[in-house]
Amino acid sequence: MTADVATRGTTGAPAARRVPTWARALLWVVLVALAYLLPSLLGGSDRIYTTVVLVAIFAIMSYGVDVVLSYLGEVSLGHTLFWAAGAYTTAILAVRSGWTPIPALLASIVVTVLLALLLGLATLRTREFVFSLVTYAAAIIGLTVVQNTQALGGSDGVVGVPLLELPAFGGTYVARTNAELWPIALVCLVLVVLLVARFRRSRLGTTALMAQMNGELSTAMGVDVRRTRMLVFVLSAPITALAGWLYAYQRSYVSPDLLSPTFLLFMLTAVILPGRRLLLGPLVGALLLTSQQQLASLGGDADKIVLGGVLAVVLLASPTGLVGIWHGLVRRVRGSRR
Amino acid sequence: MILAALVNGLALGAGYALLAVGWTVLLGAARLVNFAHGQLYMLGAFVTWFAISRFGLPYGVAVPVALVVVAVLGVVLQLLMTRMTLDQNIVNLMLVTLAFGYLLQGGAALLFGGDPQTIDSPLQQQDLALGAARFTGQDVLIVVLALAFYALTFVVLGRTDLGRMVRGVAEDPKLAQLYGIDAARVYLAVFVFSAVCAALAGAVVGPRSPILTSMGFEEVIVTFLVVVLAGVGNLVGGLVVAIGLGLFTAFFGTFFPPAYSTAAAFVVLLVVLVVRPQGLAARR
Repeated sequence: MTADVATRGTTGAPAARRVPTWARALLWVVLVALAYLLPSLLGGSDRIYTTVVLVAIFAIMSYGVDVVLSYLGEVSLGHTLFWAAGAYTTAILAVRSGWTPIPALLASIVVTVLLALLLGLATLRTREFVFSLVTYAAAIIGLTVVQNTQALGGSDGVVGVPLLELPAFGGTYVARTNAELWPIALVCLVLVVLLVARFRRSRLGTTALMAQMNGELSTAMGVDVRRTRMLVFVLSAPITALAGWLYAYQRSYVSPDLLSPTFLLFMLTAVILPGRRLLLGPLVGALLLTSQQQLASLGGDADKIVLGGVLAVVLLASPTGLVGIWHGLVRRVRGSRR
Repeated sequence: MILAALVNGLALGAGYALLAVGWTVLLGAARLVNFAHGQLYMLGAFVTWFAISRFGLPYGVAVPVALVVVAVLGVVLQLLMTRMTLDQNIVNLMLVTLAFGYLLQGGAALLFGGDPQTIDSPLQQQDLALGAARFTGQDVLIVVLALAFYALTFVVLGRTDLGRMVRGVAEDPKLAQLYGIDAARVYLAVFVFSAVCAALAGAVVGPRSPILTSMGFEEVIVTFLVVVLAGVGNLVGGLVVAIGLGLFTAFFGTFFPPAYSTAAAFVVLLVVLVVRPQGLAARR
């Protein structure tokens, strides 16, 4: 059902442009309402609620990579660092210092922005692939450091993250189950999609796209490519950290596996599988991958083969993703009619 | 203690050098960033172990078997990527090699199991000593092989027609093709060479410690460190930086927790990137 929602949102985009703004806004509201009701329409079991909450969290996580990969055209392999930094900052502050969720989120954002600034500044003057190498190295080394640092919980991680409690009208809203976490996850997801939609239309978004298409031309037109890269990278980090914040509460513990290549491959595949530069692409990708892992898992190692295999096959067969295959089919059908 | 660290660092560094030599040529010639390099190293070690423990082959025969297996795998991978390499689509090349690495890791875990294994090499039992420093015949083998491979690569790249073809394609693939050089075949040769170097490193460094199918990520980071610190495509610089990195790791491990040694080397890299983005050894 959400897949239906998402594909309508993406392939219907040119058609939607002719629709007046109020009708489009109404359409989006209906879609969000449908998404909210979706798990109860599917039976409302705990498994369904777990899956939809994870889809929302992993989609938000992937949007961070999407901003860099789709619009800047650079491969950040360090976003697991921001994902883990968001989750770890939250868990440590909540467990050891008793911080409430909102201040913990703000602290997570500050920490990830600082990390992104550090990585971005170090790679500012380097060639394109060095950026990927350095971000990848940062993530893998982050894994070793976290595993061996007792202050960060070592290989056990940090356990006992309290329940997510948010101030609400007339008291507090406590998310005790995945069903109660779902509205919060959905709100976060909608906010992130709105942010990315805003970014796509912003000056920074268009500049990033121009720098990707033709770096020399954009330099000639007065665009500071390095500054653009830096800004987009720093913007993308807190998006992924927000997902980490949610995940710490959802799982109630954090461990070094957050930095494992599994999540890295997940983020990249979620963006590339549907096709890059689609507003709802990462959501569709996260939905497909999470559904496989939650509802049709083949076991840890076989799931690795599925994830790596999906990414490799898409890149080799149709680098533009499922949308590319769809366009190819449409063209073939139209061609045969003539 | 200092002498022990020096000898250990030399063996470590020679292993790093062997790991990085193929990548240096690959990145220089094909502008191909191979993220599956660490998994090829892992496969080199595991196929060697498999040939010894399952088929009872002696170590000296198992290593060439592993090299052939990984070379065949290298041919398959590069044939899949040929069009991407010719298009010089670096973003997709990085992503697809990352996917290959993950795929190989999952496959190896299914095939070889999740337990740590040891490669039984007769040279590992051969204890040698130089003053207070103890080392094994395996360490000597690693150093000799690393030096031999660097010398071979240096001569082939600099003095032969094959080397001229590789350098021509590296300089300008389209122009090289106009001169009748088949760029796709050069890319294939360079990729297979790089894969075999990684597998050899795995097969000879593997016996020093227990091996796991999950290894390979640290190794690919070490390769990056060597290649980026030396300056892309700089062969001699690569050898010097690799040995230097081995010594750094060994000395760091004597005074601090060894788990942080790669992290410390990474901090050095970040500083170098800010001060000299083109690498330590690069001219310009």
